[in-house]
Amino acid sequence: MQRYLDPHCEMILEEYRDNLPEIKKKAEEINAKLNSMLKDAGLLVAALEYRVKSEDSLAGKLELKGSKYASLEDITDIIGLRVITFYTDDIAKVSSAIERLFEVDWANSVDKRKAHEIDSFGYLSLHYICYAPGFPYRFEIQLRTVLQHAWANMNHDTGYKSGVEIPKSYLRNLSRLAGILELVDEQFSIIRSELTDYRRRVRALVASGNLSEVPLDGDTYRSFLELEPFDTLNKRIAAVNQAEIHPVSLLPYLQVFKLIGCKTLGDLEKVIRDYSDAAYQIASYQIGLTDLDILASSIGPQNLCVAFILKSGGGRAGIRMMFDLLNGESSNNDTMAEILVEQANSLPFMNNK
Amino acid sequence: MEVIISKNNSETIAEFIGRLDTPASPEVAKAVEPLMQDAAGTIILDCTQMSYISSSGLRIFLTLRKASVSNGGRIIIRNISNDIRQVFMMTGFLNLFEIE
Repeated sequence: MQRYLDPHCEMILEEYRDNLPEIKKKAEEINAKLNSMLKDAGLLVAALEYRVKSEDSLAGKLELKGSKYASLEDITDIIGLRVITFYTDDIAKVSSAIERLFEVDWANSVDKRKAHEIDSFGYLSLHYICYAPGFPYRFEIQLRTVLQHAWANMNHDTGYKSGVEIPKSYLRNLSRLAGILELVDEQFSIIRSELTDYRRRVRALVASGNLSEVPLDGDTYRSFLELEPFDTLNKRIAAVNQAEIHPVSLLPYLQVFKLIGCKTLGDLEKVIRDYSDAAYQIASYQIGLTDLDILASSIGPQNLCVAFILKSGGGRAGIRMMFDLLNGESSNNDTMAEILVEQANSLPFMNNK
Repeated sequence: MEVIISKNNSETIAEFIGRLDTPASPEVAKAVEPLMQDAAGTIILDCTQMSYISSSGLRIFLTLRKASVSNGGRIIIRNISNDIRQVFMMTGFLNLFEIE
């Protein structure tokens, strides 16, 4: 696009061209520093992005308000970075880390979150203007949530750069949307906070042994697995052939434990307590006459479920259902179920011994 | 034991013929090494003509699975006999693999 710049603005543009390689290098360095800080702080963000202002964008800015700038040093967003968080709470964490990491130009930094009147909704974002040591130009870091980012992008088309008159009804709808997204952001944070609290309470209950009070779900089951509840049974089975135990995920068994009626971790603990002997009988019968010396860590849970199903009268259909859940539906699961039922029928636990 | 490796479009196929027992394992482990290069894609372990698998054979399959998982690939075990399926079942590895 053809720009009409006065000699003063041309001079600023020349300074930009002369220093562009150094500016690009510094942008990379700042981005790497910010990225490393986020990782060290354990802050998971949706995105961290950066850009160096393009010559065309700078020329456009100078064309509009060039007299405002004495030199390139007066332009605060030659380098721009953006941290997009999942939660509003994380903005506070990231901002506090930025304040420790960089020297902030407070006079030019803006917290748009505070700029709104109580009855207005719109752009919510935190803009820091910062200094980098030994670098003459300031840079900008914007902080916003994913939803704020989405809204800002939608709003961009209607903003100051479009130069098109936007109908008021459209702007009002955008404003209403901003209000909704602000509420959604807040709810996401509340849900996360409640979930964290729930997990903390569950971990405490698991640690204190009050398992009958803990409902069986994905979170509680994971906490329970940290106690290695199948370890004793697995080692007992492995001892039959001095086998190595190969660790595998036991999460697929959650659905099977639910299938057999476990509603709390207490129920699951009872299954382990009451059916470990039967599970051992099945496993040792199967591997005792082989030289198989590697077993999956799911060997205990698998045989506990088999023992429970058979002892409860679930029979071949019940075992097939278990394998269907674990392996996906297949007629081969029925064949395996048939073999298991036949083997188990000769074992003491099925004959009340 | 013989291992034949071939390519079919985007899939790499390893065909196992014979007994994958302990004596055969070192040679088989070497024969399947080239599969590691395709660990990001789909690898079919065709067991139509495999008559037996030992713990050493299971370890080879587990090594291939590990490489596949860490490279975002996919391992499919195809056409195992009921006897071999039973070995996977009684060692607890049945639901670890995608078995067709």
